[in-house]
Amino acid sequence: MQRMISVDKLARPENHILLPVQKSRAVRAEQGLAPNNPMPYEDDFLKARLHGICAGEFQAMEAAGRTLYDFPDAPWEFQLDMARQVWDESRHAEIYMKLLEYVGSYYGEFPEGEVLWSCTQAEDPAARVAGINRGLEGLACDVFEQMIRLAQRMGDEVIERSIDYVLADEITHVRMGSKWMRKLTEGDPERLKKAQAFQDQIDEIFNFGGGRTTVENAAQIKQRVGGKEFNIDDRITIAREARLLAGFTEEEIDRLVKGFGKSGAY
Amino acid sequence: MPDLGFRENVMGPQPIGKVVVVPAEMTAALDALMRALMSGDRGAAEAITEPQVLEDLRQIANAIAPGVYDKYELVGRARIGQHFFNKVRLTGAKPMTIQFRLGMNGERWTVREATNLTGRRSGWSK
Repeated sequence: MQRMISVDKLARPENHILLPVQKSRAVRAEQGLAPNNPMPYEDDFLKARLHGICAGEFQAMEAAGRTLYDFPDAPWEFQLDMARQVWDESRHAEIYMKLLEYVGSYYGEFPEGEVLWSCTQAEDPAARVAGINRGLEGLACDVFEQMIRLAQRMGDEVIERSIDYVLADEITHVRMGSKWMRKLTEGDPERLKKAQAFQDQIDEIFNFGGGRTTVENAAQIKQRVGGKEFNIDDRITIAREARLLAGFTEEEIDRLVKGFGKSGAY
Repeated sequence: MPDLGFRENVMGPQPIGKVVVVPAEMTAALDALMRALMSGDRGAAEAITEPQVLEDLRQIANAIAPGVYDKYELVGRARIGQHFFNKVRLTGAKPMTIQFRLGMNGERWTVREATNLTGRRSGWSK
């Protein structure tokens, strides 16, 4: 089996519509929608957000599996952690598929993008876990915390509790990433620097040009789901508490808030 | 959809959001497009295609020998907003996979994108 599988080699059932992220953005722009993400004022917001997360869970499952396969000489405990993550992500994918059905959607209603998988393209396990476990799973903490608050405002315990359950796992994945980034680069500051640089790239991609903010500073806009109207944040916020629980430092979080995206190891 | 198991213990009416039904007019426009392409009626195919996509459509039409295909199947469908991606396969001696994006222009559904996926692993392939 091939190692370091490239973006276009990722297998999907034939009935899935796969679309490069630039194309999705262009199609959104063509319809007068904000290019980056489904926005809260859109009818599809909840469905599309859950769909994007579900795709992320599939790709995270595949990424952890690939990390396990691509680095057979990595320490046994590292391999065990990656195997555990595959299992976690598979449960998450299943949870989000059920949530999609719950909101009147299904997996495949929207195209799947490749951007998350493109963030796995590192040939060093230390960089791989820095990018996936710290970069992407850190982003997951932010998005999930926001979705939990949204569900609380909707008064929807199904979404709230389901995502809270998943968030608890993601926090452990970030911690795993921090642990292995440090351990695998012990005594090799150059390798650590490269791993951090890889994570920085990913943080930059998802910082949307500094377009994120803190929970406290997020502007509130009205959204309607299931006949109810409520206020929610107008952009993706940074989940300070969840990130602290996951082991990010205050300094790292502050840098993300300011839009620098640089991460220090600890 | 896969069987997601027992869910009657989830309280409240479901789904909580509105299910989006694929517009019958969009399906009809796709069907008209496919029939036009299979029969070699370029005029009919081009009539429902936006000007910026005509070149891509012509290349696809060039690859479809008239009369070789008489059937197509919808392989996959997805949407972004009100635009629908339709992945179709022309069946015959040399199957072709093509993806069309349709959106509304006034009262009409028109082709906004035409991509020949034949021989490509996926839409992610460069």
